[in-house]
Amino acid sequence: MGSGLSSFLLMCSNSTSSVSSIPPESNLGDLPESVVGSVLVYLNPQEICRVASVNQAFRRASTAEFVWESKLPKNYELVLSRVFDCNELGLNCCKKDIYARLCAPNSIDGGTKKVWLDKGTGKACVLISSSGLAITGIDDRRYWSWISTEESRFRSVAYLQQIWWFEVDGEVEFPFPCGTYTLYFRLQLGRSGRRFGRRVCNSDHVHGWDIKPVKFQLSTSDGQKAITQCYLTNLGKWHLYQAGDFVVEDSKVPMKVKFSMTQIDCTHTKGGLCLDSVLIRPK
Amino acid sequence: MLKNLNSKHIQRFSYKYLPQFPISPNSPKLGFSRSQIANYRSNFPTTIMSSSKTIVLRSSDGETFEVDEAVAVESQTIKHMIEDGCADTSIPLPNVTSKILSKVIEYCKKHVETPNADEKVAEEDLKSFDADFVKVDQSTLFDLILAANYLNIKSLLDLTCQTVADMIKGKTPEEIRKTFNIKNDFTPEEEEEVRRENAWAFE
Repeated sequence: MGSGLSSFLLMCSNSTSSVSSIPPESNLGDLPESVVGSVLVYLNPQEICRVASVNQAFRRASTAEFVWESKLPKNYELVLSRVFDCNELGLNCCKKDIYARLCAPNSIDGGTKKVWLDKGTGKACVLISSSGLAITGIDDRRYWSWISTEESRFRSVAYLQQIWWFEVDGEVEFPFPCGTYTLYFRLQLGRSGRRFGRRVCNSDHVHGWDIKPVKFQLSTSDGQKAITQCYLTNLGKWHLYQAGDFVVEDSKVPMKVKFSMTQIDCTHTKGGLCLDSVLIRPK
Repeated sequence: MLKNLNSKHIQRFSYKYLPQFPISPNSPKLGFSRSQIANYRSNFPTTIMSSSKTIVLRSSDGETFEVDEAVAVESQTIKHMIEDGCADTSIPLPNVTSKILSKVIEYCKKHVETPNADEKVAEEDLKSFDADFVKVDQSTLFDLILAANYLNIKSLLDLTCQTVADMIKGKTPEEIRKTFNIKNDFTPEEEEEVRRENAWAFE
């Protein structure tokens, strides 16, 4: 302790007067680990990992349980049991490792969904693949087909050639940490591929999206609802279309979210759409 | 609370048979039970050495500070010592110098005086006091952190730790070492190991 040592030296120099030294000043490097940990609590996870390289004391403080406990969501045990089926993680894993594991994308529900924690805020992000959605007419090769692509976090996306009744439904149940979340559909007008190493986009089948808007809906198990209508634009590029927000207040109960995207005006056909996934992320 | 009292406490901080002021550490020590102490206190309410309203704190360099009990119990450490009956004479704080202790007392006084920030003006006033309070040199700031940690004053610890965290934010490890004059005690292999351990945060 800097102050204790300084006063001891002061006493020594007063009594013996042979050693006169300036009492050593308190240095950040001298603070005990628990105190450095208290400082680290005020930094975000990336900063904590960065300052671990300052010195040995910082490194030890950056692995302190209480520091990472403050970063993990309050319901992290519920999240762990939802993400990892059996206790692969083991209870003797330190909190920092738990945080690191949860921040990496983990597949759940048979690979149809990916889940990870946002590194900065500790809130959950859920990505639902098109293979995990209920797409009307998906089995009919006249309407929908599957194309493999590198532009998705999943191996393939659903491609619509043309259809009258366009409806995509889905639902997810997950113990979201408290906060506000936004739900997006990741879509692209046009079919992209690679030719001679360059990205090309085939927009031959794109039609019908400028006649009437598309309706996005979402509803939650605790009664929240949101509806958005918009036209699909952005030819040739992947775009996140916002469906709506929902708020999670009680993180002890898993939230069930139902969502859909429809364009069921059957006076015209629409097509040329790539449907990749649905993304839920903190606002 | 009785279970917290042990013979060590009774021997070091006991009432003398006849009140003498000032109490020196070398006067004869007698043991008294808690009920005897309480009884004694109620019979001599005007005893100078420590009326129930003020507490005497002694810094590591021997200076004494008399403070209101309400101010002293901002520190959980001191609060527990009083509850355990150790505050009969003065409370020695061997880890805190007089310079730091006077600052801590100033902080506690201000926070006790200001009622729990119901009014906007009082809240703003306290905020600006806190902001000025931490405008000190690095060494004093770290001494304040250590004192707040030892004395267990949560609001002061939060304030000082937040201040240091703000000084660290956005700096690379090398810049932090330079700003705070910290020695890099890693070997190159250890440094590489730390980098690898924490790579996940930057992917």
